[in-house]
Amino acid sequence: MFAALTDPGILQRAIPGCESLTATGPDTYEATLKVGVAGLKGIYKGTASIRDKHSPGSLTLAFEGKGSPGFVRGTAAIVLAEEGESTRLESTADVQVGGLIAAVGSRLIEAASRKMADDFFRQLSAQLG
Amino acid sequence: MADQSAPYVGQAMKRIEDPRLVRGAGTYTDDLRLPGMLHASILRSPHAHARIRKIDTAAAKAIPGVVAVLTGADVNAACGLVPCAAAIPDLKAPKHTVLAGDRVYFVGHPVAVAIATDPYIARDATDAIDVDYDPLPVVTNMEDAVKEGSPLTHPDLGTNVAYTHSVAGGGDIDEAFRKADRVLKHRLYHQRLTPMPIEPRGAVASYHTGEATLTLWSSTQIPHLLRTLLPGMIGVAENKLRIVAPEVGGGFGCKLNVYPEEALLCHLAMRLNAPVKWIESRRENAAATIHGRDQIGEYEIAVKNDGTILGIKSRTLADLGSYLQLLTPAVPTLTGLVLTGSYRIPAVKIDIVGLYTNKMSTDAYRGAGRPEATYLIERLMDVVAHELGIDRIELRQKHFPQPKEFPFTTACGVTYDSGDYQAALAEAKKIGNWDQMLKDRAAARAAGKLSGIGLSTYVEICGMGPSKAMPAGGWEWGCVRMEISAKVTVITGVSPHGQGQETTFSQIVADRIGVPIGDVVVLHGDTNVAHYGRDTYGSRATAVGGSAVVMCINKIIAKAKTIAAHLLETTEDHVEFANGIFSSPGVTTRQLSWAEVAGEAYVAKNLPPGLEPGLEASSFFEPENFTYPFGTHICAVEIDRDTGQVKITKYIAVDDCGPQINPLIVEGQVQGGIAHSIGQVLFERTVYDENGQLLTGEFMDYPLPRAADIPEYVLGATVTPTPVNPLGIKGVGEAGTIGATPAIANAVLDALEPLGITHMDLPMTPERVWQAIKTRSTATV
Amino acid sequence: MYPASFDYKRPATIDEAVALLTQFGDDAKVLAGGHSLIPAMKLRLARPRVVVDIGRIANLNYIREAGSSIAIGAMTTHQEIASSKQLQDKCPLLPETASHIGDMQVRNMGTIGGSLAHNDPAADYPAAILALDAEIDVAGPKGRRTIRAGDFFVDLLTTAIAPNELIVEVRVPATPKTVAYVKTEQKASGFALAGVAVVISPAGVRVGITGVAAKAYRATGVEQALKGKTTAEAIAQAAARATDGVELLNDIHASAEYRAHLAQVNTKRALERAASR
Repeated sequence: MFAALTDPGILQRAIPGCESLTATGPDTYEATLKVGVAGLKGIYKGTASIRDKHSPGSLTLAFEGKGSPGFVRGTAAIVLAEEGESTRLESTADVQVGGLIAAVGSRLIEAASRKMADDFFRQLSAQLG
Repeated sequence: MADQSAPYVGQAMKRIEDPRLVRGAGTYTDDLRLPGMLHASILRSPHAHARIRKIDTAAAKAIPGVVAVLTGADVNAACGLVPCAAAIPDLKAPKHTVLAGDRVYFVGHPVAVAIATDPYIARDATDAIDVDYDPLPVVTNMEDAVKEGSPLTHPDLGTNVAYTHSVAGGGDIDEAFRKADRVLKHRLYHQRLTPMPIEPRGAVASYHTGEATLTLWSSTQIPHLLRTLLPGMIGVAENKLRIVAPEVGGGFGCKLNVYPEEALLCHLAMRLNAPVKWIESRRENAAATIHGRDQIGEYEIAVKNDGTILGIKSRTLADLGSYLQLLTPAVPTLTGLVLTGSYRIPAVKIDIVGLYTNKMSTDAYRGAGRPEATYLIERLMDVVAHELGIDRIELRQKHFPQPKEFPFTTACGVTYDSGDYQAALAEAKKIGNWDQMLKDRAAARAAGKLSGIGLSTYVEICGMGPSKAMPAGGWEWGCVRMEISAKVTVITGVSPHGQGQETTFSQIVADRIGVPIGDVVVLHGDTNVAHYGRDTYGSRATAVGGSAVVMCINKIIAKAKTIAAHLLETTEDHVEFANGIFSSPGVTTRQLSWAEVAGEAYVAKNLPPGLEPGLEASSFFEPENFTYPFGTHICAVEIDRDTGQVKITKYIAVDDCGPQINPLIVEGQVQGGIAHSIGQVLFERTVYDENGQLLTGEFMDYPLPRAADIPEYVLGATVTPTPVNPLGIKGVGEAGTIGATPAIANAVLDALEPLGITHMDLPMTPERVWQAIKTRSTATV
Repeated sequence: MYPASFDYKRPATIDEAVALLTQFGDDAKVLAGGHSLIPAMKLRLARPRVVVDIGRIANLNYIREAGSSIAIGAMTTHQEIASSKQLQDKCPLLPETASHIGDMQVRNMGTIGGSLAHNDPAADYPAAILALDAEIDVAGPKGRRTIRAGDFFVDLLTTAIAPNELIVEVRVPATPKTVAYVKTEQKASGFALAGVAVVISPAGVRVGITGVAAKAYRATGVEQALKGKTTAEAIAQAAARATDGVELLNDIHASAEYRAHLAQVNTKRALERAASR
């Protein structure tokens, strides 16, 4: 499960709107993401890196991306906990949003982030089986 | 249609400017079309603080129709530094270049500019510019910025403190506090506001290579100050520079400035050898046009048990934003000039700390420092009254100077010109039916409603101003020309953008010179036409500019009398002038009209020996003091307990700006000023999040008052002329918003007083009011 | 201020429009009244490569009786709905709700189809559509289908419409006059901080709430607590259930706590007002 989280192929299929994800070094990636909600999608180019790996339990994913709607930066701390036959995945994220989307979309950012996080973990779970 | 049988001055006549404006026949900056004109679009920082690692303009340059894409490295040396005209001792100032250098320090900071053959391509090009930022720590809260160890807005300054300013005035403040029976403390937050003129900023620059002259059309309040300050930036000599303010769709102080974009456009026009236009979007306006207010004040007021106020200590933090625009650090010091309001308060101590944060700069915004003063003193009067159990009107009256005590010097070091605060208060109570208002409030409260009345008895300082006290001269220039056809051309150095001087100056001229008002033309706003001026701000245009016009009128009439005397074959002391006619009743029945006198002045066949031809005069008027308009505003509110929504049920304003040239224009200024206050007290605020992201960048999120928010005002006036200028007038452009904010705030707090709530910061939004009601506590920020 | 470049298509029929949406997929956006799409495009938050303007398709703008329902064409404007005598008579909740949308200029351009398809969490119609249990007809490559209100609003800005489907008609039932829409406006935008639509009919009470969560919802907690009664006491205790089970929005205009409170207050007021009519 942990290994799957650090597999770029799985990650690319897991991340909604991820059009490309290439490893640029150990635990670092470049990605292009088309994200947003419904028709308000923007293309973001950015980097992600995995840090603080403590196999099999936890890791931190740091990311930053920028596009014309603005930029996104943050970290997500992901913890895997064995629960019998299955594994529960928990995450807490600290995300900073800036630029146009922060300015005009601020009322929707919390809800949109929740939705995108939900989509991510749903898709990730599907990938991980 | 003005009543022509009566003097024009004093008539509430419709404005001469309006027909063209309401028909859409005025020319604004965006209406300008010059042959070969290019369009500029500016890329701005999405980060509140970051190092710029790299800017890649290749993709942008490759777009067909793009003429140039430039960054700070390309233009900053040629454009100079954005100037600050405030003379503050020991001011620590960052060097603010026109485009960002190696670092951005607020969201909206201009980073690059794309110039193209049309504005759509220019906008596409800014999207294609790729900037690599390295984010840096951000400080957005002034109370954090002042602390040791705070992230620094400008690391090279080593501190966020731009300046400290300490003033003590009047008597011994320590003695005052020793003699006090009680010392009351209070903290007030005067929130940051976004001016939001309906027309955002914009400019067109054009360089004539043959003549080596540069013309800049800009939506500005200050064409003359621009002409004085731009040469130091762009290297074009003052007398090769022409600045034109076309119709300007609102300024309110935010266009009283020298903006980086203006210098940038001038440089681009010269560099690219083509006219260049730039018009900002609303979001750019919200992010990169100056903001207003943003002060936190801690006040201590020393009082005797009978309510006598012995002294006030004030410690203010002022959030200047990330760099200094034209008057940024000076605005908080203006608060100190009228901190004691309309009251005899013998001692003050004022300490101001100006702080840098990663936000847009603050600067002058309708009232510029004086709304903060009036808000604090009028709130403090209510606080003192409440604490001591004294009626808040009696407390105010106890401290009013008497009319005969004017000119009245205050502990703040200024001398109020004239005043009758008792009369304004009495008039407001009368037209508002004060006793009935009290009864209505009692009845509403008995029915379980939250009902309150607030008032403010304000004075403010304007009519800017005596040159000794102004950074670049406070005089104003005017010119009046009697044409050979007996039409009159007036040229003024003020720059009206809604204040109506085309009408008021025509009224003054038509009356004093005795010509039909339709024969008068008032020119302004073009430095090639009005070659001197100090422009429009600080409620100065009619008080100072109008006085210059009056001086010119007097000179013209005097010269005309000389010519008339010669034509009537008598001496000047036998010539009478009235209603446009020169006569000499004991000497001859012959009378001369302006056409005859002006004809002689220009055809010059029979002028008195030694007299120059022509019938034109220009004058500089130097005011010996500021003017101090005053008034009383009374506001009644009702609060919906369940939602916290505040409804203004009655609003009375009595304002004294001296004699009113045009009561319709005065009323318009007062109405607009009160609307500004309704917004400030009840819902407006500029919001940055903790990362310095601007969250109120569009009208989706920044609420402005609309027609439905404005109650039916009851307006009145008293008239107390000023001795400071020949018109006796005081200025009224800012008075409405200065007087109204505390009246409305005091009303809300009066409504909440039965619940034990004694304070709430601005804006008093429904949510804040509801929270306070729910928790029966104060709501501070 | 200026949108990114786009291609502009103006189909003459629904089938042509659907074909364009199928062809261009994610790259296309439908233009109806334009008062959500165009501001988003001007801000470059939305950058469709193809704008499909359905404004010239015939027979999409109508209000007519259809049995015991009233059928409204997707391109009918808010102002037409607000001022429709037929709707005021037969289904007064809808015109009352429409009259609260935006301002006069917005109401003259905005359409019911466009508003529903966009599904802004603070739009007004969804509360009424849910309270009315309306039906929405969409046209797609496989023909027309009907989506019930309860299935229509899926998530934040997301509906049950497929990307290549088009709303063509909204059908609302006839109701008694005992209806109401009570809304607290966000002061700047005019959108709902909490908008509550109520229908009281012999079949029971239905409550739809918008502005408070990521999408509008049926306040089933309120409906159940009322047990069909609309006395003052029943209303007061039922209104307290207004945000049961819902994750609240939170922004600079209203905290989650205040929004929840407004939802309760407006639920109470809407129920009282509807019951009094």
